[in-house]
Amino acid sequence: MTDSQEYASGESTDDPTSDDMSIETDVSESVSSSPTMHSNTVVSAENVDVWYNDEQALQDITLDIPENQVTAMIGPSGCGKSTFLRCINRMNDLIDAARVEGDLYLRGKNVYDDDVDPVALRRRVGMVFQSPNPFPKSIYDNVAYGLKIQNKEGDYDDIVEESLKRAALWDEVKDQLDQSGLELSGGQQQRLCIARAIAPDPEVILMDEPASALDPVATSQIEDLITELAEEYTVVIVTHNMQQAARISNKTAVFLTGGELVEFDDTEKIFENPESQRVEDYITGKFG
Amino acid sequence: MATRADVIEDFGHVSRTVGTVFRYLLLAATLFGIVALAVLLIYVANDAIQPLTADPGWHLTFFLTLVVPTLAVGGYLLRTDPASARFGAAVVGLLAVSTMFAGGAAMIFVDIVEPVTWFGYVLALTLALAAVVVIERFDRRLPFLARFAAAGAAIVGSLAVIPGFVQSLPVYPTDGIMLTLALGAPVALAVGRYAAAGAGRRGTALSVLTGVAVVGSGAVLGPLLAIGAVPATVLLSVAVVPTAGYAAGTVRRNADRRPGLAFTGVVLGGTILGAVAVDALGFAGPQSWVDWGFLTSAHSGTAADAGLYPAIGGSILLMATVAALSFPLGVGAAVYLEEYAPDNRFTRFIDVNISNLAGVPSVVYGLLGLGVFVTYLGQPTGTVLIGGATLALLILPIVIISAREALRSVPDEMRQASYGMGATRWQTIKNVVLPRAFPGILTGTILALGRAIGETAPLIMIGAPNVLFSLPTGLSSKVSAMPLQVYAWASLFASEPFYQAAVPAGVVVLLIVLLSMNSVAIVLRNKYQNQQ
Repeated sequence: MTDSQEYASGESTDDPTSDDMSIETDVSESVSSSPTMHSNTVVSAENVDVWYNDEQALQDITLDIPENQVTAMIGPSGCGKSTFLRCINRMNDLIDAARVEGDLYLRGKNVYDDDVDPVALRRRVGMVFQSPNPFPKSIYDNVAYGLKIQNKEGDYDDIVEESLKRAALWDEVKDQLDQSGLELSGGQQQRLCIARAIAPDPEVILMDEPASALDPVATSQIEDLITELAEEYTVVIVTHNMQQAARISNKTAVFLTGGELVEFDDTEKIFENPESQRVEDYITGKFG
Repeated sequence: MATRADVIEDFGHVSRTVGTVFRYLLLAATLFGIVALAVLLIYVANDAIQPLTADPGWHLTFFLTLVVPTLAVGGYLLRTDPASARFGAAVVGLLAVSTMFAGGAAMIFVDIVEPVTWFGYVLALTLALAAVVVIERFDRRLPFLARFAAAGAAIVGSLAVIPGFVQSLPVYPTDGIMLTLALGAPVALAVGRYAAAGAGRRGTALSVLTGVAVVGSGAVLGPLLAIGAVPATVLLSVAVVPTAGYAAGTVRRNADRRPGLAFTGVVLGGTILGAVAVDALGFAGPQSWVDWGFLTSAHSGTAADAGLYPAIGGSILLMATVAALSFPLGVGAAVYLEEYAPDNRFTRFIDVNISNLAGVPSVVYGLLGLGVFVTYLGQPTGTVLIGGATLALLILPIVIISAREALRSVPDEMRQASYGMGATRWQTIKNVVLPRAFPGILTGTILALGRAIGETAPLIMIGAPNVLFSLPTGLSSKVSAMPLQVYAWASLFASEPFYQAAVPAGVVVLLIVLLSMNSVAIVLRNKYQNQQ
């Protein structure tokens, strides 16, 4: 617990977007040589393998996720895209059977190092789940939850208002902050979950099929919101909806069956001119 | 394909004979259970209350003042506005159940806990709580252990010093005033906040003050109505103020439920009007065995004078002890097993054993209590503490199982969301899992207490006296209980008058207490289900 507090408080004074936190890897150097293409790398996976018991769910994943962009993970069911997402904030630790090998860096720190407290790590990574899961608490308490458990300083009223505004929910709920979060509609609940995730100002926001349980109108609201969030946050989104990935993401990673990362590139390139025949088949709907 | 006719003449029939027989067999089984229970209840209630001994005029009066208006208003409301009708009925039910609990509480404050003692402990707890809040607010940078130690010292010190200090004061306020402050004020605070939720600080303060004033009036009104200041204060703070607060709060938030209050008014008004009318007209009521004398006097050799008072008080004290012991132990075990324990062979072994323990006959627990507490630890037989501890052991497996069920019903997405926010396991359990599971845990515990209150065998085994002539006054005094008293009447004093009078009356009182405890559990469960 003391470790986590040191980790959390030791760096919280730094501006999370400042350049000196970026890592000196090949990628970031190549980025600086072509600034029009990419910004800094926030999450960087190197040879990540994941097993559930004896079954391999991810094979040798290597990819770099750029700052302040939307990176989409697409692929058929069971291809390991959600598993990869959960590697980033070590949610896989909660599953006894899961075992992760390889290196995964968040702003230069390997999150699988022995001295990393997964709880402290998750405080810097926001997560939005597949089905809206607000707590059975008031709207205000839902958004302030992260602030309270992390003992954050500051005026919670302001942060709650700001987060709800960023999640495009403030106008709908500003008069009913005392109401239970469960009384909102599905789309509103998911935006509440997004507000809850961004309230503690995380480094990265992970979204695990955030719109798959929603109707088309709510889905389009969430998509607009994700595009706006990418101005300030690095967003990693898993989706099984290829059109959604094409609409909102800057970069796309295609996972195919067996937990293999087949192709990772700019979204336009993936959808217009993929390198791999398998990716083209998947995108054009020949399988998966 | 070509051989098929173009027009279908007849689809034919599929036999449902077996299904129909099965369905009516199930119906018969259901009806058998319900009818048998109903006959039993009517039989016992008839023996205990003897409604047929009343004047026909008595029945007619109440029929005209209470039954007819209630049916008319209730039926009309049910057809036009069911939500209001339910609300009105809920107010009546709440008043009835809370009045009963008020009776039990009044018994405690009259005969067991002096108001001044209660006042001292409440004052001590309040001061300790204030100290803890100050410590938490004052400096959050103090290490956890220091804060924990300071808070513990504040609580223990305050509890050790203040009650004794209050009791040693040469002069202290009257019982009514002390109870108003120590019982009425906390109740008024909770009720007032509920009734005035969202009305701002001024509205809340106003409703809390109103509650305190109403409770305070008991000290004046009680003696005037010849029921004493203490019972009147308890009745007002346990029954009247919460019911009124519930009604006022609901009506304020849902103005369209207002017609429901008409139903409440008709039931209450009809009862009072009927009582006044039969008194004025001189109609005699039924010669019920369950009467004021039965509830307030001790056992007697003659059935007509026998009462249940010490046994009721004993049951209340036993239930308090059982709840205090089994709730923390059972819920603690359930939280550990459900949230922390790894899933391995050992925990599965424990699982199976807890389920088996829940089915062990109660007399075995009695033997266990006798062996452990009396023989091994050398405690005196038949005390409140021993009885409560034995009954707590008896219901502990049930509490654990039902609490685990409640914890398991918390969706895993909630835990995932909390962990995803960077919460530790402790924060997740404290902030998300327990609040969500709490109503279910409480429901299970109340139902388990309902089992404990009806147990006779363990109390006999640990040597609880069959007959007691005064209320137990502390944890180490001898205790009897309602089922034990009924058993004594039916066995030791077996004679025609006891069989016809005291036994059914005791059973009816026991059943009423049990049913009202269960009704609290059911209301909690329904409220919980509606929230999901």
